[in-house]
Amino acid sequence: MGFLTAPLVVAILTALLAAIITIVDSIVNNYGEVELDINDGSKKIKVDGGSPLLTTLSEQGIFIPSACGGRGSCGACKVKVLSDVGPILPTEAPLLEEDEKKNGIRLSCQIKVKDDIKIEIPEELFNVKEFKTKIESIKDMTHDIKEVRLELLEPNSVDFKAGQYAQLIIPKYGKIKEETQRAYSISSVPSDKNHLEFLIRLVPGGIATTYVHEHLEEGQNLNIVGPFGDFYRRDTDATMICVAGGSGMAPIKSIIEDMYEKEMFDREIWYFFGARSKKDLYYVEYFEEMQKKMKNLHFIPALSDPEPEDNWEGETGLITDVLDKYLKNEINQEKEKEGYLCGSPGMLDACIKVMSDNEMKEEKIFYDKFA
Amino acid sequence: MKMTPELKKAKDNMQPGEITSEGFLGEDKRELVDIIEQDEEMMESLGIDYTDLVEKMHHVMNEGRKGLGEPTKVDGKWDVRVDESRGFLACPFEDGIFRKINVIVKNMENDEEIIFTDMSVHLLDKHHFHQGKGTNFRLDPKKLKKVFYD
Repeated sequence: MGFLTAPLVVAILTALLAAIITIVDSIVNNYGEVELDINDGSKKIKVDGGSPLLTTLSEQGIFIPSACGGRGSCGACKVKVLSDVGPILPTEAPLLEEDEKKNGIRLSCQIKVKDDIKIEIPEELFNVKEFKTKIESIKDMTHDIKEVRLELLEPNSVDFKAGQYAQLIIPKYGKIKEETQRAYSISSVPSDKNHLEFLIRLVPGGIATTYVHEHLEEGQNLNIVGPFGDFYRRDTDATMICVAGGSGMAPIKSIIEDMYEKEMFDREIWYFFGARSKKDLYYVEYFEEMQKKMKNLHFIPALSDPEPEDNWEGETGLITDVLDKYLKNEINQEKEKEGYLCGSPGMLDACIKVMSDNEMKEEKIFYDKFA
Repeated sequence: MKMTPELKKAKDNMQPGEITSEGFLGEDKRELVDIIEQDEEMMESLGIDYTDLVEKMHHVMNEGRKGLGEPTKVDGKWDVRVDESRGFLACPFEDGIFRKINVIVKNMENDEEIIFTDMSVHLLDKHHFHQGKGTNFRLDPKKLKKVFYD
């Protein structure tokens, strides 16, 4: 038995040390109860101090958008802090603009709640909730895009504006040791309050998209947080110029279907959808049918590199080139226009340039800004 | 080469959940210095120069971005798709932050494919770090040769 003595002593000492560290940590880092004042007294909550503001808020059912799950890499969880919470941290600095720094904007995942704190957040975030859902169906739309339909279980209904997004909470799987959140635009209509649909394109190596494409199954539960975002249809009569590619179809589809349901048939809509070849196109017949029902909807799919066997007779070239051609030659120059864009930052930048070059006002171009 | 305090800090930053959920080392049990040294030796034996490789990767990424998220052909040799995601990632060596840009490159002559990120190019360029075996973004020298030089 003597050979067991040394490992036993080491194990006991290690356990003792761990207990001491835990006790000391709870004393040193115990900030006690502090008051969280949101929007000048609109909501006052007593919370235990010591945790990041993002976590503290989510524990109170107030969800700030966060695409990286609090790792300080996405810069989405910005809030205005009116109290002194110390200088801007090196982890925050690269993600804050100069005017944001001057105006007290901070990353809520990086600052800790150690004392009473006053913050300002958009009122609509009070509407954001965590939903327990069940996967009702998963459909292949193209070789790398799936449509995922969720049934809301608890709460069982949601209010959102067409164009907004939600965050899927991806559980731990395989080599991924931590829960991860990723944001996706909602593709279904707001009138279907008990379901949400998403169009998710596989990004090789991507944690969330790999999970959705290779592990997620019908009947499975998945939690989501939302709705978020200020990308939605503005209530004007300006001509809508919508541009999307790949899974960027999602919010535009939701916006157009919502307008159809509301019988908004007078407003002119041009929808440019870019893909590489025919195998990357989807919902084409659906929008061709919608064109027949909505007299002012013009759906323009364009292929950048069609295969010979595609026998493609539609528009070809980069979607920006097609957009430029239509803005110059087809779309009424006199009428006021609004831009609605969904795609990668590179695509957004390129589209904004084309629109600006064609006299569209930048403040009338709306998109879900990625960075 | 020794495990300096800077390398030890970098290794800590490479663990799963620090900067990325998956981390940068995968199943690789070797010390960080050993991963770097062994990959450097392999690159030398394959006759690949880091500066030249990094130039090629930047060229492919910049040309691929012109596809606006759709795959596009570059120089008639590579099929390239560039995906950009929300936000930034910090380098584990703590010397920069990078946009989340994924580049999928396929050599159309031999169908060999590799995925790299904006930060992977920096890790090769400044640190000769190809990432650990078993990670999604490991840049294996032999694979790099097949994709960029064959």
